[in-house]
Amino acid sequence: MSRQHEHRPRPGLVMPVDRSTPPVLMHHGEQLRLQRLPADRSRVIYPPEPLEPIEDEGAAIREALDNPIDSDPLDQRLFAGMRLTIAFDDVSLPLPPMRAPDIRQRIIEAVLDRAAAAGVDDVHLIAALALHRRMTEAELRHAVGDRVYDALAPRGQLYNHDAEDPDGMVLLGTTDHGEEVEISRRAAESDLIVYVNVNLVAMDGGWKSTATGLSGYRALRHHHNPATMTHSRSFMDRHNSELHHSNWRQGEVLRSAGVEVFQIETTLNNDLYGNGPMSVLAKREWEWTARDRAGFVATRAALDRMRPGTRRKVMHRWRAPYGLTSVQAGEVEAVHEVTTRNVYRQQLVEVEGQTDVLLFGLPYISPYNVDSILNPILVHCLGLGYFFNLYRGRPLVREGGVVIMSHPTTPEFNPVHHPSYIDFFEEVLPETTDPVEMAERFEKDYANDEWYRHLYRTGHAYHGVHPFYMWYWGAHALDHLGGVVVLGGDPATVRRLGYRPASTLDDALEIASDLVGPTPTITYFKNPPLMMADVK
Amino acid sequence: MRVRTASLPSLRDLDPRRRIRSLGFPYTSAPTPASVEPLPGPALGDRYDSDWARSPIARATRVVAQETVGRAVTTALCRPRVHNRDRMEDLEGPAVFVANHHSHLDTGLLIGSLPRPWRHEVVVAAAADYFFDTPARAAAAAWFWGAVPMERQRVSRRGALAAAELIEEGWSLAIFPEGGRSPDGWGQAHKGGAAYLAARCGVPVVPVHMDGTDLVLPKGRRRPTPHRVTVNFGAPMHRDGEDARRFSARIEATLEVLADETRSDWYSARLAAARGETPSLRGPEFSTWRRDWLLEGSRAGRPGVSSSRRSVRDRARGNDPW
Amino acid sequence: MKYEALRFEDSPTRFAAAFLASSLRPGAGGSVGPLRHRTDIDPPALPGPDWVHVTPRLSGICGSDLAALDGRSSRWFEPVVSLPFVPGHEVVADHEGRRVVLEPVLGCTARGTNPPCRPCSEGRTGNCERLEHGCVSPGMQTGFCEDTGGGWSTLMAAHPSQLHTVPDDLDDEAAVMVEPTACALHGALAAEVGRDETAAVLGGGTMGLAAIAALARWSPPRRLLVVARHPHQRRLATGLASGTEVTVVSDGEELRAARRITGSMLTGSGQHQRVAGGVDVTIDCVGSGESITSALALTRPGGRVVLIGMPSRSTLDLTPLWQREISVRGAYTYGTETLEGESVRTFELSMELVAAAGLGALVSAHYPLRRATDATSHAARAGSRGATKICFDMRDAPDTEGRP
Repeated sequence: MSRQHEHRPRPGLVMPVDRSTPPVLMHHGEQLRLQRLPADRSRVIYPPEPLEPIEDEGAAIREALDNPIDSDPLDQRLFAGMRLTIAFDDVSLPLPPMRAPDIRQRIIEAVLDRAAAAGVDDVHLIAALALHRRMTEAELRHAVGDRVYDALAPRGQLYNHDAEDPDGMVLLGTTDHGEEVEISRRAAESDLIVYVNVNLVAMDGGWKSTATGLSGYRALRHHHNPATMTHSRSFMDRHNSELHHSNWRQGEVLRSAGVEVFQIETTLNNDLYGNGPMSVLAKREWEWTARDRAGFVATRAALDRMRPGTRRKVMHRWRAPYGLTSVQAGEVEAVHEVTTRNVYRQQLVEVEGQTDVLLFGLPYISPYNVDSILNPILVHCLGLGYFFNLYRGRPLVREGGVVIMSHPTTPEFNPVHHPSYIDFFEEVLPETTDPVEMAERFEKDYANDEWYRHLYRTGHAYHGVHPFYMWYWGAHALDHLGGVVVLGGDPATVRRLGYRPASTLDDALEIASDLVGPTPTITYFKNPPLMMADVK
Repeated sequence: MRVRTASLPSLRDLDPRRRIRSLGFPYTSAPTPASVEPLPGPALGDRYDSDWARSPIARATRVVAQETVGRAVTTALCRPRVHNRDRMEDLEGPAVFVANHHSHLDTGLLIGSLPRPWRHEVVVAAAADYFFDTPARAAAAAWFWGAVPMERQRVSRRGALAAAELIEEGWSLAIFPEGGRSPDGWGQAHKGGAAYLAARCGVPVVPVHMDGTDLVLPKGRRRPTPHRVTVNFGAPMHRDGEDARRFSARIEATLEVLADETRSDWYSARLAAARGETPSLRGPEFSTWRRDWLLEGSRAGRPGVSSSRRSVRDRARGNDPW
Repeated sequence: MKYEALRFEDSPTRFAAAFLASSLRPGAGGSVGPLRHRTDIDPPALPGPDWVHVTPRLSGICGSDLAALDGRSSRWFEPVVSLPFVPGHEVVADHEGRRVVLEPVLGCTARGTNPPCRPCSEGRTGNCERLEHGCVSPGMQTGFCEDTGGGWSTLMAAHPSQLHTVPDDLDDEAAVMVEPTACALHGALAAEVGRDETAAVLGGGTMGLAAIAALARWSPPRRLLVVARHPHQRRLATGLASGTEVTVVSDGEELRAARRITGSMLTGSGQHQRVAGGVDVTIDCVGSGESITSALALTRPGGRVVLIGMPSRSTLDLTPLWQREISVRGAYTYGTETLEGESVRTFELSMELVAAAGLGALVSAHYPLRRATDATSHAARAGSRGATKICFDMRDAPDTEGRP
């Protein structure tokens, strides 16, 4: 029977754990676990239910383009003979990827319709991937749709951004903080950039789209560094994020250099699993029907018995049936304010007070391993970068507290996507796990390594410096926490990350109690589906 | 040789339900935490959506189940004699089958007695509050009998409207206008739904009288006693310009004639009807031991003699809601 | 006059047994092989006029000893070994009230061959051409020669030219490291690593660690890559290389690391992956077919490979050597080194290095002679058991007849 939303989507829930609370679902990489939590000192934060999606997406897009915020309607900004560049978010958004048609396709088609009507011939579409890996043809086709791909790619008008193309980048100036601003030459020299965002989390969008997505190492190093990341508290909360302040300064330079941006931002609900066989993963345990429970037991058993490679393939094949909850267009900053409100509307959960021990179950996917392996460095990034920073106000865990994350953390890497990660793991991590020290000793070498550059530009490899950014992403957490325990992780690998391995939650809590005292309070942040804690 | 002294596991330990319970979540459901507002339950009662039970697969399996299990049970317990099916010779298209109601066996008996094609193109109006109160029972009723929920206590037209739609789609409807099984063996006053639906959809009503199912498995009894049962089909009835209430009264009267016919003969029943002396199915207005006494007499012609009577004690033990 | 020793005997059956046993488990040759613990041996007669008796205090177990015990020595050595012999060429001993370390090479001076061969006259005693001549039975070193006895005993013979007095501030453990360190040091200097070159050291055992220490002290490269299998080896390597720009990796990671430190490219994938360039010089301190293959894969076209570890019989593909025009040279024992234009005896440098780098700490365990089987199996699996150098300890041996 389908899940019938006869009730309105419920907000998130903070549930205290007592002796009758059932074990709660926890992701463990590609596997699933049921974890019983200590009674009377634990609580579980459940994400809000998916908001009702917009029924007529086409009408919403038209409305956004015709009545943009603080901008002339798009039609008036298009004219024959102009240079138009449409930039769009890369494969790192949304997660897991969206069921076709992707929202980017719908928006880009709407924009191109208008551009065609206005007689614009010179249109370029750029996957704004900064230092991420180049998207494959299949991924580009999924993002923009076959119609757009077949119309533009053969003419060389649809391509991946290349931040290492010496002729393709242009320096536009320096902020008053001395930060260089460099973006794609094509974009900078266009009469209009239309940037199509998928704002999955509050971090995405705003000036971060253009100033980061279309830039390169030269500009990124000014905010993708340990000092900035330590002072981004959190980088999901723009107004308290040094990362965003820096991007906004760079945006100011872009604006004064005459770069015209028409920003389109979209928000999705958190319906990752729909009504299908995975729907149990989004349900609260006491609401699991007999069918849900049977499905869960079977799925868990099947996953546990698969070889890791097969398991990964099975999980990465999932496409989420997100619904669009808002689309807004116009001036970058004004649009972003509205977008952020819409992201918060879906994701915020009010939480009272901090905790001693914060518990995560890390899933199989992060922004940087679509169709790939969540390697140990990405485990760090997903846990201490993303999950830890999904807060507003104060971190969920107190200063000096402990994060316990559940993930197998095996030393496996995808050599095509993450070549520099392997070297980072073998060369840098045994030397130091301190972001500041590694930045000083190793970052430049990796950023300027010819081989990585070659693989980034011609293959599907993340840029050489990318593993450093992944590590910096956790800088605020490393600074804030007393310790990190990885539950069920490969011990040698976990130690190399600078964490402590534990095989059971009891062991993990025992280790944690060395740092936070006996009988600590525990909060399990039951993410995914995505949410963000509003900590009072 | 060593002798094992361990005792055999007790039957309690082998009980699969106990074993599953001891496994706990997720093999059993989890309790709703005290701090949490529970979800509204699944749509049940007259909101139950029984569409799936008319899918080709459900229909095919239902035919098989009715023709095997259903027929076997009916034959074993009732050995039914079906009379006067020839009165339906001229009937075409959907109809509303209206029958008296004494026993859970009535539904199966009625469906099994219907001629094709009606037998497998009929839905049964079943009490929304009784048959559709849990997902499992609702699914079983919808599948095995092709039941659709009909509200009988609350004022609600949801069930009637849904049934009307089905009739318009070509389904026949079997309905027990007494609104429930007889509590004491006497008939009950008809509710107007059957007449209303027939009138609304412009389809004929076929009255059917079943005699003897109260002896097999009356309300309140758990164990059936095999007994011969007679099913008597009346001629299809059309609304004759009268309003639904009068039409309903005419249907009830026709059923009484059919009952009389079963117990005497066709011509005697016609004569009694012409004289206005057809015995009422509802029984006398008083409610003492004499009601039971008279019931015995109405069937056997000799009050208080039969030995296969169900006793008042049987009925008093009943804890059914209806 | 009897003394206690471990003697390597001339027994073909035991050789075969050792060979078979060691194919199942390296180091197993110690128990079934030709090495016997004897307490009834006559002391070696002094072979020549100047020779003296010394009483060993500590004597190390070397990789070449283990190969002999397992019956896996190269037959190349047959003419320069005389059976039966008492092994042990890493020796610190007592002689006339002072402690000495033994320079075990049996060159022209010790053999009394006159005039000395050309290498000996040039101070390159390790390259002596008279190893089968003179007053001593054939034997390239003490510890492989019937006449001299060896360090794994309570009494042996030595020529005064072989003895180097140990300074008081060097303890026995440090002193026993002098001989192996001299070997590694000789090889490390033979690599002639330039200051702006990149170098790789393969192996984290005694040789590898000593070579790293030598490089760090006398010819630090611009970037040094160390490949060591075991965690404690990597930890020690990092410590010994302090002051140089070093990258220490586990085996299996070396190709990528070499690419990283040289800023080169990787080509191919899987088994056929190789680094397009490579380090300027690779010092192989393992000496297996795999390690030499790996050395050739890590070294840039036109680069150099130095083999310190004894390679023995190996199967390997020399195509990269040919295609990349790589020079391979061996480095055996020691003699005289030229350092900044000055000639210095390798042993003197070695004593300096052992003291400065604290290499005495590499001695991980001592065993009495009667526990030879335990000792050799420990040495054969030193890496995986977290050890580096295993020694026999004769300091507590009961006074045997004839002990001075």
